[in-house]
Amino acid sequence: MSDLLKFVENEVQIAALLFLALVYAVRLIWIFRFRSRKERTFAAGSEAGGVGYSLLNVAMPWAMESTRKRPGFYTQFVVFHLGVVAAITATFIIPYAPGVFRIRAVVIVFQAIMAAAFLAGLLRLVRRLTNPVLRMVSSADDFFSLTLMILFFAAGVLAVPNAYEKAEWPLILFFGLTAFFLVYVPFSKICHYLYYPFTRFYLGRSMGHRGAFPRGRKVGTQVSGPVKEDRA
Amino acid sequence: MKRAKRGPSGVVDAPLDTRTQARAKEDRLPSLEDGHLRTYEPGDNVQRFLALLGQRITRSLAVSMTACVHCGLCAESCHYFLARPDDPTMTPVWKADQIRKIFKKHIDWTGRVAPWWVKAGSLRDDEDLNRLKNIVFGTCSACRRCTYNCPMGVDTGLLVRFTRGLLTELGIVPEGVFNVSRDQWETGNQMAVIEQDYLETLEWMRDELRTELGRASVDIPVDMPDCDVLYTINPREIKFDPRSIAHAAKVFHAAGESWTMPKWGWDQTNFGLFSGDDKLGGYVARNVYEAAERLKVKKIVISECGHGYRSTRWEGYNWADYDQKLPTESVVVTLKRYLEEGRLAVDPARNPEAVTFHDSCNIARSGDLVEEPREVLRRVCADFREMFPNRRENFCCTGGGGLLSMAEYRPLRLEVAKIKAEQLRATGAKFVCTMCHNCVDGLNDVIKHYKLPMRVVQVLELVSNALVVPASTK
Repeated sequence: MSDLLKFVENEVQIAALLFLALVYAVRLIWIFRFRSRKERTFAAGSEAGGVGYSLLNVAMPWAMESTRKRPGFYTQFVVFHLGVVAAITATFIIPYAPGVFRIRAVVIVFQAIMAAAFLAGLLRLVRRLTNPVLRMVSSADDFFSLTLMILFFAAGVLAVPNAYEKAEWPLILFFGLTAFFLVYVPFSKICHYLYYPFTRFYLGRSMGHRGAFPRGRKVGTQVSGPVKEDRA
Repeated sequence: MKRAKRGPSGVVDAPLDTRTQARAKEDRLPSLEDGHLRTYEPGDNVQRFLALLGQRITRSLAVSMTACVHCGLCAESCHYFLARPDDPTMTPVWKADQIRKIFKKHIDWTGRVAPWWVKAGSLRDDEDLNRLKNIVFGTCSACRRCTYNCPMGVDTGLLVRFTRGLLTELGIVPEGVFNVSRDQWETGNQMAVIEQDYLETLEWMRDELRTELGRASVDIPVDMPDCDVLYTINPREIKFDPRSIAHAAKVFHAAGESWTMPKWGWDQTNFGLFSGDDKLGGYVARNVYEAAERLKVKKIVISECGHGYRSTRWEGYNWADYDQKLPTESVVVTLKRYLEEGRLAVDPARNPEAVTFHDSCNIARSGDLVEEPREVLRRVCADFREMFPNRRENFCCTGGGGLLSMAEYRPLRLEVAKIKAEQLRATGAKFVCTMCHNCVDGLNDVIKHYKLPMRVVQVLELVSNALVVPASTK
């Protein structure tokens, strides 16, 4: 392994990770500087239940009409984000637990996930380019971030065999992209995962308090059916 | 101000009409003199808007500003976009982006550093503010259907209300919003009903009810202390639908309830919800809460009104910074309890026609009541049937968000109402029941415009029809 690859896999990643953590810390401070309102009403439901339901919403495609009616889109979402998890995991396995990728089956699973995510990313890019609504609302960052992710998945597929003795460039490309991501992500739409717990928490707390979340909640006492009674 | 430039869709380009505001200034109305209500003043409104944006934004709104990933899944949850599928400006994401881009440019660091990269943008002049007014007041009923369909949990409904509030503070509002806000500030109710009219209408309904039931002891008490229930209503009931008060009185009488209506603080509706003005919202809600305290009642009961229920039960306590002390419930919950407790005898055969139920957005999506009205309707109707989608996925009556008071947006409102019309038609019902006076008017507009063979009713009317009043109570 060359010194360049060692440097890219280790020092560069650690520096980029520290930068990411620093910017995220600043971002969190920024979020908490906005004031929060006190709730003054009696609760009709459980705030904790609402928050839990809201946070787990991502794993309940049946809970929203928008995902229930679009199983294909939801599948793409799942595959794409599994690819993200696989790629990020690979950035730690390769330098710190290289033995894992000596197991061929593990390599194939990671490659399959990232290849599927690559295809899902391409479909997402096509959708963003062809759907008039998405084209109109999309920013340069939306396109750039998605394109980067697609490249990242492709680089990941090539990198996970960790065969630096044959060729180092797939690993240098993969870790170079990773370092770039770590620096760029806090400023891009990709950091939506940082906001997700907040939006979902506030929506869940409010709707849980009011008894609107979790959906499908039954009211306390049921009325069984019509009662015909003529006391007159 | 000059006529605003047409938006990308060219749908809504209403100019800012300030004639009523000018008259109000000439008349030196107390609401203006006291600084409660703002009028439009040409000048540096963009800077004032940006200052207000920075001062008023809360954490939950800030994260809704930043979290959108532009996935577009909200589009098909919006009846505006479903009715105009070729117009991207009808999507919730585009509408929210019109305020989001300002937030990004002036508050969020990414937009300040590289605005072109994240589509951040600013406002140039009052014409831009008027354009924003047309978007947030004219192309959204703030029904929150998109909120429920956003995978990220972005609350576009709240963003729209927040933006409305900033514009209201600058007097950049539809004329109807100014007028109704003025009335509610000046008279304590949004239809400017004077006390004499209020009391005379209650007496009239009391007399009608005495004749109907043949019993002189039936009453509609006003300002009676120490009752169990304080009943608050929508001014529309005084002005246009006083029978709904008689229905409530009949039910309370049959149930043997100890109840009263207040002389002041009887309006449970709240235009602050629609205008985004928390000060107005707090003032109106506080009137109700203080009436309840003054009369030492045990519970506040809210007549059938969607935004009134949301405002009085949920938002009002927070707007008014008033810790809730008394149970506050919809009259539909009261009805359900009476039925469960056997305090009312009903015969569903008295409502033989097919009835469907329209969920009010403010009650189902921003409140807690979904099954309660259905349980009552199943008891009092022989043929109750659902419309689809329903409950928290129901479509807005299209008159929500105060749109009924904004005449300039009526053509678009009725155009996009075709979604609601198709939903209603598919039920085959003769009656569409709703627990919201605003929805009554919204649905009546849809029914008339699309020539649907049905009539709008409310839960109390159906319960009153089905009520079997025992001789002992008569």
